[in-house]
Amino acid sequence: MIACTAKQIPRIIKLTLPEKNKFSDSIFGSSQIKKNVQCHKSLSDLEEKAASLLKSLVSMPVQVRKDDKSYFFSEKGRYSRMGFIFIHLSILLILGGGLIGAIWGFDGQMNIVEGKSGDTMFLYGGEGPRKLGFEVRCDKFKVDFYKTGQPKEYKSDLTILENGKKVLSKAIRVNHPLIYKGFKLCQGTYGIAGTDNFQIVVKNKKTGKETVLTLNLMEKTSLPDSKFLFAIAKFMPNYQNHGPAVLGVLIEPEKAHEMLWLFKGHNQQMKDLSFIFKDFDSRYYTGIQVSRSHGVNIVWAGCILLLVGFVLSLFFTHTKVWLRISERKDGCEVKIAASVNRNRKDFEEKLEKLVIRLQAE
Amino acid sequence: MSDTFIISIVTFIYFAAAFSYLISFVFRKKPVAFIALALTVLGIIAQTSAFIIRWIHSYKLGIGHIPLANFYESVTFFSWSIIFIYLVMGVRYKNSLIGALANLFAFILLAYASLSGDMSSQIQPLVPALQSNWLTIHVISCFLGYACFAISFGTSVLYLIRQRFKKNPVNFLPEPEFLDEVTYKMISIGFVLLTLGIITGAAWADHAWGRYWGWDPKETWSLITWLIYAAFLHARLVRGWKGTKMSLLSIFGFLAVVFTYLGVNYVLSGLHSYL
Repeated sequence: MIACTAKQIPRIIKLTLPEKNKFSDSIFGSSQIKKNVQCHKSLSDLEEKAASLLKSLVSMPVQVRKDDKSYFFSEKGRYSRMGFIFIHLSILLILGGGLIGAIWGFDGQMNIVEGKSGDTMFLYGGEGPRKLGFEVRCDKFKVDFYKTGQPKEYKSDLTILENGKKVLSKAIRVNHPLIYKGFKLCQGTYGIAGTDNFQIVVKNKKTGKETVLTLNLMEKTSLPDSKFLFAIAKFMPNYQNHGPAVLGVLIEPEKAHEMLWLFKGHNQQMKDLSFIFKDFDSRYYTGIQVSRSHGVNIVWAGCILLLVGFVLSLFFTHTKVWLRISERKDGCEVKIAASVNRNRKDFEEKLEKLVIRLQAE
Repeated sequence: MSDTFIISIVTFIYFAAAFSYLISFVFRKKPVAFIALALTVLGIIAQTSAFIIRWIHSYKLGIGHIPLANFYESVTFFSWSIIFIYLVMGVRYKNSLIGALANLFAFILLAYASLSGDMSSQIQPLVPALQSNWLTIHVISCFLGYACFAISFGTSVLYLIRQRFKKNPVNFLPEPEFLDEVTYKMISIGFVLLTLGIITGAAWADHAWGRYWGWDPKETWSLITWLIYAAFLHARLVRGWKGTKMSLLSIFGFLAVVFTYLGVNYVLSGLHSYL
C-alpha cells in the first residue's frame, strides 16, 4: 500500500500545484476534452462573454492578450486532488495507532465487591494480574431492572485512592466511563459476591415471645429462653424453584441436630419453635473493564483525515478550462480545452451549454 | 393508528410502486413512472410517520428511545434507507428500473419484518449498552450505506443478465454502461457511509468498553465488507476494471453485507446480538 501510494504522490502533488501552462497553444491539441467553434462576433464582445460564462461554470478566469489572440484560464477544486493523499495517509495513521495500541496498550477486568477496594486488574487472554498504581473502591453498586426483567442500568459509585487518600469519586454506568491517569474504567458486568445478614424471626410457641435474629452463614447463636442453638448452614438463591431458602440447623446440646429448609416469607416449625426467614442482604461485586490504551488519538486523527479525504475527493472536482479567442476575417475562432478528474459526462453537458451561450446573440 | 399497522400498509404501497415502475419500464410509459414515484414518496412519508409514532409510543411506555434498537426496527429502517437513498440519489437517473429495484427491496424487507416468526415487533426497553447518543448516528450511517450497496447489488445482477443475453433482440434492459455507472456511484457513496458507520461504532465501543476495536464478529465482518468494497474501488480507479468483473465483485460485497447484518446474528454470537 505504501509503495503504491508513494508512487502516485509526486503526480498528485504536481496536479495540486498551480497550473504552469495557463496560456499555451499546445493544450488545445492534447487535452481530453476539446471544442472548436466559430462565432460571428467581435473579439471584445466575446472576451466579455467568455469571462462571465467561465466565471459561472468554473471560477473567475485569468486572462492575457497576445497579439490578436486572447487567452483565458479558469480552474476550481484543485485541492480535491489532496483527497487521495489524505485517504491513504489516514489508513497509515489508523494502522500505526492500532499498532502502538497493540504494543503498549493493555486491557483486562477487575471485580470489586461493594465496600471493598482493589488495585489489581486481570489482563484478558490469561496474561495474569497487573497493578494499576492506585486503588479503586466500590462504595456502592446498584442494578435496576425494567418490568420485563431486563436490566435497565448498572451503576457503581467508585472512589479513586492514592496511598489511601481519596482523590476522586465518580459513578460509572455502561456508556459512562471514568478516566484516571490514562486508565479507562468502564462498567462491564456485575454479580453476587455473597449474601449475609439473614433475618430470621423466631417465635417460642409456649411463651409467645418473638425474637429477630440477624445471622451470617455458619454463625451459631443461642436462642433466648431455650436450650437450643441456631445456625444457618447453607443459602440457595432459588431452592427447588421456590425462591431463596436457607438451611436452618437447630442444635440441642449433646443430641442430634435437626435441619430444615426455610423458605423466604414462610412460617415453618421445628420442635416447639416457629421460624420465618424474613430477609437477607446480598452483596454485589461490580465487574469493571479496565483499559490503558495508547495511540487512540492517532487513530481518531486518522479517522477524521479519512472522512475529510472522502469529502474532498467525492464532493469536489478538479476542473480546468483553457479558452482561446483568435480573430478571423468574419468573426472569431474560439478553442476550448478542459480537464476534469470525475463526472466527465456531467461536465461535458455543461460545457456544451456554455458553447451554445457563447454563440448566441 | 399503531405503527405496525401503518407499516403493513406501507408494505403494499412499496409493492404497488415497484409494480408501477416495472410497468412503466416495460411499456415505456412516462405517466406510469410518475404514479410510481408518487407512490414511493407516499410510502416513505407514511413510513416516516410510523417511525415517529413508534418513537412517541415508546416514551408513553416509559422506555423512550429512538426505534433503532431491535431486529424488527432495524429491518424496517433498512427498507426506509433504501427508499431514502433512491429518492436522494436514484431518481435523477430517470430510469424506472432503478425505482422498481429499490421498491422491491423495500417491499421484501417489510414483508419479512411482518411475516417472519422470529422477529418481535414489540417495543422493547433499551439495554444499558445501547443507551448512548452514538446509537443513532452509528445505525443510520450503517444502514444508509447498506442501502447503497443493496441498490448496487441490484444493478450488478441486471448487468450480468444483460450481458448473458446480449444477442437477444428482446433485451430491453438498460445499457450496460449505465448499469455499470450506477453500480460505481452507489458503491462510492455506500463506502463512505460504511466507513462513517465503522468509525462511529469504534468511537462508541471505545466509550462503552474502553477499546475501539475488539475483533467482535460484527466488527470483523464489517471490516471484510469494507475491504471488498475498497478492492472494488481500487480495481476501478487504479486498474480501470469495468463490466462483468466489477459486477461480480459488487455482488460478492453485498453478500458480505448480508452476512455482516444477518449471518453474524444467526450464526455467530457477539456483542451485536441485539440487532
